[in-house]
Formats: sequence, structure tokens, C-alpha cells
Amino acid sequence: MAGEATARLRSSRGNDAGQAAIGARRATEAASPREPAARCIAERTPRPPVALYVHVPFCVSICPYCDFVVHAGRAARGPGARIEPFLAALHAELDLRADALAAPPARSPLRSVYLGGGTPSLLAPRDVAAILDHVDRRFGIAAGAEVTLEANPGPDERGDLAGFAAGGVTRISLGAQTMDAAELRRLGRRHSPQDVLVAIGVARRGGLASVSVDLLYDVPGQTRASWRGTLRAILDAGVDHVSAYALTLDDPDAEGITGPAGDHLPTRPGARAWRDRARAEQDDDRAADLYADADGLLAEAGLRWYELSNWARPGHESRHNLAYWRHEPYQAAGPGAHAFDGVATRRWNAARLDRYVAALTATPPALPPGGVERLDHETLEAEEAILGLRLREGIEAAVAARPAVAEALRWGSAHGLVEDAGDGRVALTLRGRLLSNELFERMLP
Amino acid sequence: MIPQDHLRNFCIIAHVDHGKSTLADRFLELTHTIDARQMTSQVLDSMDLEREHGITIKARAVRLHYTADDGETYALNLIDTPGHVDFTYEVSRSLQACEGAILVIDAAQGIEAQTLANVYLALEHDLVVIPVINKIDLPSAQPEVVIEELENVLAIPHEEVLLASAKEGTGVPEVLEAVVQRIPAPKGDPDAPVRGLIFDSHYDAYKGVVAYVRLAEGTLHAHDSVRLMASGAESELLELGVFRPQLVPVETLSAGEVGYVATGLKSVRDCQVGDTLTSAEHPAPQPLPGYKSAQPLVFAGIYPINGPDYPLLRDALEKLHLNDASITFEPESSVALGFGFRCGFLGLLHMEIVQERLEREFDLELIASAPSVEYLVTLTNGRGQVRVDNPAELPSPGDVEEIAEPWVRVKIVTPNTYIGTLMELTKLRRGTFESMEYLDQQRVLMQFELPLAEVIVDFYDQLKSRTQGYASMDYEEIGYRPERLVKLEILVNGEPVDALSMIVHREDAQAQGRQLAERLKKLIPRQMFEVPIQAAIGSTVVARETIGAMRKNVLAKCYGGDITRKRKLLEKQREGKQRMKRVGQVEIPQEAFLAILRTDEQP
Repeated sequence: MAGEATARLRSSRGNDAGQAAIGARRATEAASPREPAARCIAERTPRPPVALYVHVPFCVSICPYCDFVVHAGRAARGPGARIEPFLAALHAELDLRADALAAPPARSPLRSVYLGGGTPSLLAPRDVAAILDHVDRRFGIAAGAEVTLEANPGPDERGDLAGFAAGGVTRISLGAQTMDAAELRRLGRRHSPQDVLVAIGVARRGGLASVSVDLLYDVPGQTRASWRGTLRAILDAGVDHVSAYALTLDDPDAEGITGPAGDHLPTRPGARAWRDRARAEQDDDRAADLYADADGLLAEAGLRWYELSNWARPGHESRHNLAYWRHEPYQAAGPGAHAFDGVATRRWNAARLDRYVAALTATPPALPPGGVERLDHETLEAEEAILGLRLREGIEAAVAARPAVAEALRWGSAHGLVEDAGDGRVALTLRGRLLSNELFERMLP
Repeated sequence: MIPQDHLRNFCIIAHVDHGKSTLADRFLELTHTIDARQMTSQVLDSMDLEREHGITIKARAVRLHYTADDGETYALNLIDTPGHVDFTYEVSRSLQACEGAILVIDAAQGIEAQTLANVYLALEHDLVVIPVINKIDLPSAQPEVVIEELENVLAIPHEEVLLASAKEGTGVPEVLEAVVQRIPAPKGDPDAPVRGLIFDSHYDAYKGVVAYVRLAEGTLHAHDSVRLMASGAESELLELGVFRPQLVPVETLSAGEVGYVATGLKSVRDCQVGDTLTSAEHPAPQPLPGYKSAQPLVFAGIYPINGPDYPLLRDALEKLHLNDASITFEPESSVALGFGFRCGFLGLLHMEIVQERLEREFDLELIASAPSVEYLVTLTNGRGQVRVDNPAELPSPGDVEEIAEPWVRVKIVTPNTYIGTLMELTKLRRGTFESMEYLDQQRVLMQFELPLAEVIVDFYDQLKSRTQGYASMDYEEIGYRPERLVKLEILVNGEPVDALSMIVHREDAQAQGRQLAERLKKLIPRQMFEVPIQAAIGSTVVARETIGAMRKNVLAKCYGGDITRKRKLLEKQREGKQRMKRVGQVEIPQEAFLAILRTDEQP
């Protein structure tokens, strides 16, 4: 699977623009072999990151359901935009993060770079290219690496998709959400279903080798018919990858993650009111039906589920997201971004853009405020099983045999949530995917 | 030592919120008992709970030194009393230690149900009543209307009524002066053998049981040996003193005085409220007339949410009982809730307060089963009667000849616009209307008879919501009456949940069963399988609801690389489940056990 992806992505680098931008990159084998999951966690040693997440915290407008770190309106466009200072700070952070690592020849370069947001497509192509060049200089980007950029489909949001491809982006992730005009309005989106089709076409013509769309289900007012319509429209447009997320109306304030050092921004009163109303219109039964519909229709069209919320044509699985699920080390930059050292430490930047910029543009630049957590052995073992089970490949026998995991799996098996996936591996059934939290909570220490 | 004719013992009686504690605060200031720096609002309400609820739970005593207009200094013993119907018993105990009572009435609210109850109590004890209309500073104050009410309803002559604003201090010196002038000094021979009535007590880790005593006769000295006449316990006094309001030791206390004795006794049972304290060397021949002991009216199971906390709960109840002898408790176990205690309370507010105190002062997490009254069950074939305070323990229908339940007379004072809705409410609660009289042009006093069981569940809240908070109520027991009562059982997934059983009138059983099943359906989260909820009388199912199987519980949101948040959400979900109680295969949240406390009656 990973091999296929590598081959396909590498061949897609044939276009001139991409070649020019990455010309300086060393042709290293992209996918280093995965560390065997069952290897005792205690014996792990810190490894250099295989992936890098860059958070670009700007949108034209903010959707009421979104709790990512985002600034909109005047912060994102026009003379008062805060994009320039952010970019300066980001470059400084990339340097500081890279300073802690050995230089590229002494270690494997990144297999994935992911520009998420926010709406990274609001950046100018030269800014994206500059970020990627900087990343390549300091971290190294492997030949054939997956370089994803998130874009919104609207004409005023999607930016210059061909320009991004020329700057080194290989994969686009479009925030389509739904192909139903009324649902889009209800979600506070700026684009129309037609914009999504246009954006997909532009991305293809611009040379982006892999096109993904994000969809939302369990949206207020959504029906099975409208959802199936959305899926068909997306499939007819020809995409390689679909992420279908349940509309999840969290309350980050209640979770205690929006304080001054928190990795989320406080929820705006308008968004809170919207969520309260929308929550009342959500329905788990409908959500389960919609999920099953998606799984069926996507599979028929050749997009196989490979993670709870993700389906892809073979070879188009997001290697970036797989790194998360496989407990691989990833670095992160930008406000609210999260990193993992591949052993036991998770770290994140605080959400506040002003403090982020202030720290990194000081002389000398300092790392921005943030948080860190060191996981104990039991938590790591549980996490590894929980993350692994999100994937179609499931977990291997040695992980499944850990006592806390094994006990939960016995319960899950009795309720039809898990099944044998061959070679002693255990994976979720369709019912298990929908009820996975019930299983996962039993694995936590 | 203060001569007996310079002593005055009095209490303040009032409806909740009419300003009793504020008036007491002014007394403390005016008599320099507490200097301004130490003055916190409502000094005598020392429990956090009391300040938060704005109520007095425990009676407090304080001695004030007051120099009257005649130039003489008097010792005034003020006993602050609770103002809620649940604590009428405490009030009546306090009254027995006094010769007079200040009756505080809110100038805007007028006479309330509790005002009447308290005045009747005071008159029963032959106390001199000093009526004080408080809060005359309020824009909505109508002292003339209240004066008229007092005259019409309680036959209090208008010239006896004092006007005050405890908040602003106006009229307060006149009240103190009236205490000296109108309330008689205590009587009692200081040279007779010692007889002192214990009207309250608290437990102190160092001093043992500290008894609050009103000396009727004789003189106590600091190191006397004393005997409790009912329990027979004897002890050498550790300390003798008065309330200022903190405990201040004195050398002697003599007839007519109010103070405390630190007995060193380790068990409250040895030194019960209502007992008579006498001298061990020269005991009095006869004890003073005591009190009826407080009878709990409301019963509920109290269980720790975490089973292993059971011994902590037992210790906590024992400690609480030292300061609040009106709580009763005995071990019980429930299939649904595990091991806990069946507790008896004076009323619903008392129950709520005890539960809150247990949670706060002892850091326990508790769940209480639905409150119940005590039923009198006559068994078949002349096998006598049993008392049942837990619906789960009701004998099977074949063994029951008859079930009788306690009834109460409820007095409600309300603006006349709410007469209709209150007639409707009491009818829904199986009540009968007894009488109605006008207090003034707008307000009426209504009397009903109702089963106590119907009053303890949600009645007060309904009363308040139907009358926009204007009505007040009070109740007294009027004995047992046989009724057509049955046990309504709730089965979740086929298993009876004992903590959800209740005893209801046969005619209401189906409707109540349906209501409860519907409510439980909303409160019990979906499980991995379908769960039927049934309400049954014996083997007859009278209502049924079904909770469908859970179909979706998945973190299907893009959290990016933020695995920490995903894990925390899972942890939170699990914590929520750990707080649930397991019946068979079903996890039931605590709110479900409280479902029984609410009704769907809309005003």
C-alpha cells in the first residue's frame, strides 16, 4: 500500500513546475520501513519526525462549528492582515524546531508535509513555496513525499491551485463539506456545490496528483437522500480520497483547552448558540445510517475505507494521517499545532497568534508558549491500540495481547465490534467503527 | 454575676428571609458584642450552607450586655432559631428556653405561613410576643397593611407593633428596649437543687458533648459534677460558659441563665437534647418536662457513588449525628445502589442539607434514593402491623391487609389570584380543601389535608412556581389514614430496580408509571443492546418504553494530530460511566434515580 503510494506520487513529480521547486531535494527513498508496532514501547528511542504539520490560522470567515485555531476578516485579508507577521514567525519556528535535529544527511527526510488550517490556500503561491523550501533546507523533504495543502473551494478562498502545485504541493484537501446548497448555507460556508466541482477541475489541471475532499455528515437538515446526492456528486467529479467527518459540536471551553496557554481559542457566543441549536437537530441513528451509506457508496466507486473517517483509492491514502495513527513521530509548527516524538512526548503550541508572533519575532527568537505531556507506559500502550484500531489494518497480535487491550477486545468481540483480520491481527467491524469509543474507553488505563 | 431580674431570655421567630439574622446582627453591633471589624453578615449563621441558603439551620445562642434607658445593664440571651418548616422542632425547643419572642414580619411580604406557625408555637409556650415589622425601608413596604393583618389574624393590638429596618438600623434600639420592658425576667430559685434543660448540643473533639443549657433552678459552678437525669450519665464539668457568641468560660451559671456546659461525654446519646442536667452530689428529685423527640418524616437511602466510600459515609453520618440528633440512619443495601444507609429526616430541606453537608464537610460523592414517608402496613391474618419506610421493603400484596400513610394539614398563605391553581394542585395531590380565610383584601390563608408523601415530592417547588413565588406554606402531621396504595416497581431490562420503587395510590399508578418510564427513557443513555423499561404493579406491567440500542459513538472528527484531546474525551466519557450505577447489564446515570423526584405537572 505504502509502496504503491510512493510510486504513484513519485511519478507524479514528473511535471516541470514541481521538479523545479524540488530540484534541490535529495532523491531519498520516501517511505522508511515502519517500526514494528509491538516492539516494546519502553525500548523506543526518540526518532526524527517523519512528517511535519504546519498550521495556517487564517480563514476568510469562520464557520460556526469549527474549533480549530483560526483568525478571519481583517486578520486574514487587506492592509491589516496578520499573515506577514505570522509567516515571519513560522519561518523562525521552523528554524528553531530544526535546530534540535540532526541535519538532513544524518537522518531520513520528511515523508509528508501538511499545510492545514484555517485556509492555507489563502497564502500566495510564493509564500507556500518559501515555506516548503525552508522545510526542505532544514528538515529535508524526501523525493516523492506527500505535500498536502488544505483549500476551501470558493473562488475567493481556493487561491492559485496550479501555483501551489508548482511550488511543490502534491495533494490538495478541499473543504467541500456537502454538495447540498441549503446544507452549505446552514453550515455557514461561503462556497456553492458548483465551486467544489470547479475547484476539483482546477486542481487536476494544475497538476495536483491527489485530490481529497472533506465531507460532513449528521448536519442539521441532512437526509439520507441529500447525503447520497453529495457522495455521488463528489464521486462523479473524480476524487482520490474522501474524509467524511461526523459534525461534532464540541465545547472546547468546557474541555478546559481555551485558557491563555490552551491550544484552542475560546468559542464565540454566536458559535456557541449555533452549536446549541444544531446539536438539538443531530441524531445518532441518522448518523449511523449516513456513515453506512458513505461506506457502501465509496467502496462501490473504488474508494476503500482505511481509517474511521477516511476512504481512498488504493495508493491515495493520506500518508500524513497514517503517521498519526501508527504512532510515528511528527513535528508541528504554527499556533495550536501538535507534535509527537514517537516515544512518549506530545507537545503543542498555544493557540494565541499574538503571543506566537511575539515570541518568535523577538531577538533572539524564542519558542512560542505551549504545552507538553509525557505519557506513561500504560497510556502509550492503550493509545497505540486505540490509534491502530482506527485503521483498516487494525492491530497486530502482540498489541492485541496486552492485558488491558485483550480484555477490551473480548468485550468488543462479544458485542460484534471486532473481528480477526488475518495473521492474528484484530480490526473493527462496520458496527465496531461506529461504536469504537465504547471499545476504546475500555482500553485506557 | 448578673441578678436574675436583670436577665432576659428571648428568641427571634420569623418566616424565611424576613430579616431575622440581620436583626440579630444589629443587636450584636448595638451591644458591642462583636466589634465592627469582626462583623460578617449574619454572624449567627456560621455554616456556609446557612449563609448560602439564607436560612438558619441550627439554633444559635448569644448573650448580649445591654444598657437600657433606665441606666441598668441587662444580660439578654438571644436564641436565633431556624425559619423553615422542617426545623419547627428546633424552634419549639428554643422557645422552651425563653420567656419571650420577637416576631419579625417583612413589611412588604406580610404574614406568611411560617409566621403563623411560629406565633402559635410561641403562644403555646406562654411567651410574650414582641411583633416587629421589618424592612420598612423597602419601597414596597406596607406596614399599615401588615399591622392590620396582625390585628385581624393574630389579634395583636396595633399599639404593640414596632417598626424597624434591621438593614439600616432604624427602630432597632426600640426593639431591645421592648425586650427589657416587656419580657419578664426568668424565675427559679438559685438555691434549689440544679435543674437545667438541654435545648441543643454540639460535639467538640476536645470538650466532648457541649450541651446548651437553660438553668431553671439552682446554681452550677465551674467544676461541679453533673448528672443527666434521663440517661444517668455523670461527668465532671470541663467548662462552664456563655455564648458571646463564641464560647466564653464563666465561674457560675444560675437559675434563669442560658449557657453551655462542656461535659467531656463522648456520646451524644448520653447527653440528649431534652434531658435535664442536675448536680451529681445534690440531684433534684424530679426532671424538668422534656421534649418529644424529633420524629423523622422523610426517609431516603443515601449511598456513596464509589462503593469503597461506605465506611467513610458511616463515619460521616455518625459525626453529623453528634450535631444533629434529628437524623436517623441504619445500614441498608440496594441491588442498584450497593451498600448505604436508610436515613430519616425532618423534611425535604433537611434531607437536602444533610446530603450537602455530607458532601462538603466530608468530601463524599453521594446518591440519594427517592424520598419516602413511613407507611403503616397491617398484615393479613392478624399478624400485626409493620412500619415500612422503604418502598422496596413493602410486603408482597398477599400479606398486606391494609396500608396507611401519614397525612398532614397544609397551611398556605397566598395572594387570592392563585386560589384556583392551588386548588388544582392540591387536588392533583389527592388533597382535600378544608378552609380559607382572608388575611387582608388580597391575601388568603388556605388549609388543606394532604398525604405527606404527596407533599414531600416536589410540592413546594410546584407551589412556588404556580404562584410566582408568592405563596408560603407550612404543615403539621395529623395522623395516619388507610388508602388504596400499591407498590409501583420499575424494571430495567427485565430487572427490578429497587431504588426506583415507589408506593403510589392505585388510581395514579398507571399514569405515574407511564410518566416515570418516559422520563427514564430520556435519562438512561443507550446501551449496546435494546433496553425495555417497564413499570409494574406486582406482575402486571402498566407502562412500557424501549431504549433502542446504541448505534454510533465514534470520534469521527478531524482533530489533526491532537491525539491528546481525543484521549481526554475518551477519558471523560469513561468517567461519566464510572459515575453510573450498574443494574444487570445496564448502566444507569444518577439523574435517573432523581427522576422520581420530579413530576410533569405544568402550572
